[in-house]
Amino acid sequence: MVLPLKLLFQLSVRNIFRHKRRNGMLLAAIVVAVGAVVCTSSLIRGFQYDMADAAVANLTGHVKILAPGYLDDPNIGKSFELAETWRPDVADEELAGWAARVRVPAVIMSERGTRGVQFVGIDPAQEHISFIGSVAVEGEHLADASDGRILVGRALAEQLETGAGRRLVIITQGHDGLNRESGFRIAGLYDAEGTGLEKMFVFTGVDTLQKMVGADVYTEISIRLRRDPVLFQLKASLVEFFTGLDVLNWQELEPQAAAMFVFADSAFFIWYFIMMGALVFGLVNTLVTSVMERVRELGMLRALGMRSRGVVAQVVLESSVLMLIGVAIGIATGWLAVLSMGDGIDLTQWAEGIEAFGMRGKLVPVPLADDIVLIGLMSVVLGVVASLYPALRIVRIKPLEALRR
Amino acid sequence: MNNDAVAVCSGVTRTYQEDSVPVHALRGVDFTFSRGDFVSLTGPSGSGKSTLLNILGGLDRPDSGTVSVDGVALNDLNETQLSDLRLAKMGFVFQSYNLIPVLSAQENVEFIMQLQGVAPAERAERAVATLAALDMADLAHRRPGELSGGQQQRVAIARAIVTDPVLLLADEPSANLDSATTEDLLRLLRRLNEERGVSVLTATHDPMVMKYAHRRVNLRDGAIVEDSAADGV
Repeated sequence: MVLPLKLLFQLSVRNIFRHKRRNGMLLAAIVVAVGAVVCTSSLIRGFQYDMADAAVANLTGHVKILAPGYLDDPNIGKSFELAETWRPDVADEELAGWAARVRVPAVIMSERGTRGVQFVGIDPAQEHISFIGSVAVEGEHLADASDGRILVGRALAEQLETGAGRRLVIITQGHDGLNRESGFRIAGLYDAEGTGLEKMFVFTGVDTLQKMVGADVYTEISIRLRRDPVLFQLKASLVEFFTGLDVLNWQELEPQAAAMFVFADSAFFIWYFIMMGALVFGLVNTLVTSVMERVRELGMLRALGMRSRGVVAQVVLESSVLMLIGVAIGIATGWLAVLSMGDGIDLTQWAEGIEAFGMRGKLVPVPLADDIVLIGLMSVVLGVVASLYPALRIVRIKPLEALRR
Repeated sequence: MNNDAVAVCSGVTRTYQEDSVPVHALRGVDFTFSRGDFVSLTGPSGSGKSTLLNILGGLDRPDSGTVSVDGVALNDLNETQLSDLRLAKMGFVFQSYNLIPVLSAQENVEFIMQLQGVAPAERAERAVATLAALDMADLAHRRPGELSGGQQQRVAIARAIVTDPVLLLADEPSANLDSATTEDLLRLLRRLNEERGVSVLTATHDPMVMKYAHRRVNLRDGAIVEDSAADGV
């Protein structure tokens, strides 16, 4: 016998309206839980993507090519020459850009102080892929690859008690192993998202730094993509092209950020199951009450000839309809909450703390369609699973016994 | 075997445990119920009349003995098959009406036909005709909560007979009704029995119900002590 779905649906909907207050409260709980999950999952995704973006933008890129051993002992001796004809084997629409740099440890000195820094030679035209391409600069940005001036972070400038237009001395090791010392004029002071970056990196034109170290070499090529899915394909082709060099993706270069990225995925599910778990207890409790109140009525349906699976289907449908309505309103509510956050939540007052997590000063929620579909589907599945317990409990009672209650 | 038999019980026993004390509800009952009969099972509380009715309706199982309805041996059926048998061959009228509160009178009458898969147009036509035959046409769209006890019992009877069941089982159908309404309903059952040939088996200790039956089967302590033609009205 085919289940009379229309009849079961009719009974389910009318039974929901039969106990308006109780089911209204349950609906409100579903809306709040689903809305909160949508909202918080968007924030978790925002945190996750911001952290990954910050890690990638921090001169890392999605993939970086390095000389073997450079990561363990970064110096100009671990460098490589770059063929003029080289270009990443990626479609233009997938490639955000690439940048070849020289990056060496150095000592920077002013009249007031001395600091250890990473001295980076860049071609400003290529640096739209990293944070230095978009930072605010007091003074002037570097003009081109042959610019002989330097860009200094504001925090470092404060430590060295210097400013734009002033001169600093930088000492680093040359390609021949001997120390080189040069004086540089400060073109400008840059403001990064965290003081860590400002204290760590000093920039100059890549040609200038190559002259200083005495070799026409590079220490890294950083490649940035528009999206991650092409990463594995790209990395394989790069490994083939750059035989003898290390080709590393951002997860390998920034393992802490990568671990946090994975943790955020887990956090999303943990949060979801905590919220929905609490809801399911309430749902099961309400359904058990609702079903046990109708034990006689449901027994009568079976006495008249409805099969047990019909009764199970009716209870499951009741829960599913309630869940579907609650999930739809909950998603809409969560979406509105996300929209109400506008450009994001300003976290600058906790800047030092959040910098430790690799985050920037603003948490922008990222509502992913996949997450919302997943939340919706899992919620309805949870609703069905939650309703199976009271439904199976009721059909274990024989019709005659149910009629006597 | 009587070819005209709708239901046959042979050597049926049923014992319940109440607080670990065995209660012998039926002790080897032999009973044959013929097509077109109007039988009242009578006897004091605990005599076994409801138990016999429930066993014949496939709602309970005997501990021993055999039961068949319309040639089908109930002992051999599982719960699902019993459900299907009840749906196909039986109509039930319960003591407390047992209508579905969220459905209107007409929807309640259509309910079993929906389970049977009858087409919507035919379903509605038969439900309206049956309600009209029971003088309930004007109240077809009211829900049970908006009907009196007598009206609800009429709807329950309409639901029970609309599918032309082989057997109509009524357990204390007059228990919650006043005497005037009871009389109305009994006339109705009698009319259905005589005009439409519905076989009616009631369990009752209401003398008025007994009065309308053709045959009276009296039980005491789980055994039939009298099986006789009733005076009738």
